[in-house]
Amino acid sequence: MAALQEKLAAKGLTDVEVKSYMCFGACQEGPNLVIYPEKNWYAHVKPEDLDEIVEHLAGGPHVKRLDTIDSSLKELIYQLLDTGVF
Amino acid sequence: MEGILFPHAVPEGHEGLKEYRARGGYDALAKAIKGAPEEIVKIVSDAGLRGRGGAGFPTGKKWQFTREAAETPRYLVLNGGEDEPGSKKDRVLLENLPHLVVEGTILSAYAIGANKAYLYINARYDVAIKSITDALAEAKAAAYWGEKVLGSDFNLDIEIISAPHNYVAGEDTAVLEVIEGRKPWPRQKPPFPVTVGLFGKPTSVNNVETLANVAPILLKGAEWYRQFGTIESPGTMIFSLDDDVNRPGVYELPFGTPLRYLIEECGGGLKSGKPLKAIMPAAPSSAFLPPDKIDTPLDHNSMRDAGSALGCGVVKLISQGTCIVEEVLRIADFFTAESCGQCPACRMETNALSMMMKKVQSGQGGQPILEQFGKILAFNKGKGFCNLIAMPGPPIESALKLFAADFEAHLTTGKCPVN
Repeated sequence: MAALQEKLAAKGLTDVEVKSYMCFGACQEGPNLVIYPEKNWYAHVKPEDLDEIVEHLAGGPHVKRLDTIDSSLKELIYQLLDTGVF
Repeated sequence: MEGILFPHAVPEGHEGLKEYRARGGYDALAKAIKGAPEEIVKIVSDAGLRGRGGAGFPTGKKWQFTREAAETPRYLVLNGGEDEPGSKKDRVLLENLPHLVVEGTILSAYAIGANKAYLYINARYDVAIKSITDALAEAKAAAYWGEKVLGSDFNLDIEIISAPHNYVAGEDTAVLEVIEGRKPWPRQKPPFPVTVGLFGKPTSVNNVETLANVAPILLKGAEWYRQFGTIESPGTMIFSLDDDVNRPGVYELPFGTPLRYLIEECGGGLKSGKPLKAIMPAAPSSAFLPPDKIDTPLDHNSMRDAGSALGCGVVKLISQGTCIVEEVLRIADFFTAESCGQCPACRMETNALSMMMKKVQSGQGGQPILEQFGKILAFNKGKGFCNLIAMPGPPIESALKLFAADFEAHLTTGKCPVN
């Protein structure tokens, strides 16, 4: 998390807030990174993936290889986020 | 009535060997040890004994599966973890009628061909552990267990294991983990313990009350046993009532007895003096029933048909003037706290349900939040290593259906309509 925050600051992305959340039911595929409200979910995130993710947040391309979470779980968690449960 | 387990009403004090033998104690063992183990399995199967730990699985069938498993040695485990909130039945049996439990254990071990039995008892049950320890010493001195039981070729060692006092530690495979020296985390199933159990060997894990029924069945026969109860659920069951009634305690009743009899005749009605609002026949994991189900017979099939479950007989009663949202929040928080956390789906589900109930309680989220309950429960159906993940479902879904007004009141005002 600290590494991500450093990279975001270096990139000047001040409108991105990094928060830890409770279990989303995919810890076996963690570390997980959910971008909300945009609704993108990256799994098995490693420190070396952070540059690409920060690029995405700055308007770059979606990191397709990290988008491996089952779509039904994503749908459920996004709905819970939308209803303010988490 | 004269019960099967309780010789008169609820027993008081520790029944010693002399008193137990005076009422036919260990006669069943003396008779059975001269015959084939298969004969015990047959009689118990014919009697229709079903497990009293909650699932109601036929005991004879469980033993048969254990006997048929190829591997040896086999093990017997008496499950007295008893951490179901409000359950007192196993404690009463262990404390007051220890020889009934010990004789049932010896007979069951002989039936499945086990030379080692573990008595897994809730660590908080000091009196029960002392009572069983004393009974084991008396029984060993009388050659009821140990080397060459009653002069036969059957050897049996019995060991007491102290059970951690958390809910999931009573789950069959979590019990095995504890006996093997690890933390109480349920195992993935299959394989089931009857084939791959303790130390990887066939193991029958049976509840205390289940095994307490074995000696009376063998002493008096399957036909006698079937005089009690219903065709599908023969015998009796011990029901636990908490202090929401005038006479809390444990009551042994034949299966099929109307719930009203337990509440009114045994429990003396609600302590609050108010009308009944809801019944949880197997708290905390059963569906709420409305008061008009008070005449439902206390047996597995009738409770299922009424929309709930019999479980292990812990009946919780809710008076008018109690808010169901507060009750459901307590239940959701209980399962969140008791989830062992090894399965991500269970961790997510129980945490999400708790958080959602807190939102409802404080009036946040409106109608959309209510719609998420069913989605989370449906998503997680069949997931997880044990059944805990399925347990919050029945109380939550039945509460949403039966007591929508309580939820509505919280969501619209942000305040409890009762408190």
